[in-house]
Amino acid sequence: MHNHEINQPDFGTSQKKLGIYIVGFITCSILTLISFWTVMSGQFTKWEMFIIIYAAAFIQFFVQLLCFLRLNTQTKQGRTNVMSIIFTGVILTSIIIGSLWIMWNLHYNMM
Amino acid sequence: MHSEDSVANDHHHASDSTDVFGFWLYIMTDCILFGCLFTTFLVLHIQAMHGLVLKSYLNLYDVLIETFLLLLSNFTFCLAILNLYANKLFKVQAWLAITFLLGASFVGIEIREFIHLANEGFRWDVNSQASSFFTLVGTHGLHVSCGLLWILLMIIQLPLLKMTNVAKRRMTYLGLFWNFLDIVWIFVFTIVYLMGAM
Repeated sequence: MHNHEINQPDFGTSQKKLGIYIVGFITCSILTLISFWTVMSGQFTKWEMFIIIYAAAFIQFFVQLLCFLRLNTQTKQGRTNVMSIIFTGVILTSIIIGSLWIMWNLHYNMM
Repeated sequence: MHSEDSVANDHHHASDSTDVFGFWLYIMTDCILFGCLFTTFLVLHIQAMHGLVLKSYLNLYDVLIETFLLLLSNFTFCLAILNLYANKLFKVQAWLAITFLLGASFVGIEIREFIHLANEGFRWDVNSQASSFFTLVGTHGLHVSCGLLWILLMIIQLPLLKMTNVAKRRMTYLGLFWNFLDIVWIFVFTIVYLMGAM
């Protein structure tokens, strides 16, 4: 069995362990419930809700990357994956922030 | 692509990981596609604050159920992967079938929600906010539907492929795709539904 595992091709997805999946699942459930509860309970101001749901979303994003996609820097393949996701992050940030910035200014100036 | 008939053996590990990296790059371009749709939604959401707004039509309980269905299907898929590496064919198929059912209920609830919204008058052609809402959520739903088809094909394929590296590679692709859809959904429910309901 051990020998078998050494012969596995490297998919850059790291070792498969049940424990990590369970931890990931529970953490994501809790974060989801926090987000929904914050909005549904109606006890918070708009800014508080805004900050809480975005913080929860980003934490859940990283938990999913680590626990389910098993992103890692231990192997060469894993490092290449991390590089490409960082590159995608840069592109996405410029698209999203850039568009919102421009459109917001436009909106402001048109009023 | 691959010459699929030269199955297994002399399939080099290096080429396997290159293939998976190629699929990973596809996922990254899909991320950019969704990023653009999110941006469109946000921009039009700011602009179209008058007239019909999404807020009055939303039912957050449905969204919460959808979220958990998708998260659970993600987890059951991981269990399928674990059984694949333990060489238990029947269990892999069983977990895949459960994943399929969870995903199908997700799509079912989403379609029901779309029909409900359209009946209430929030159709895709009423204003820019509605158009961008249906495009964004619909594209995600379409991806999930494709994923469901893929899971079905995988359940049929697995007994034929046996537990070869080819099977493992294809399951890795499917796993990346399925987990990626759940990651996109985190942002859909946060940006579209929760912010929409605020």
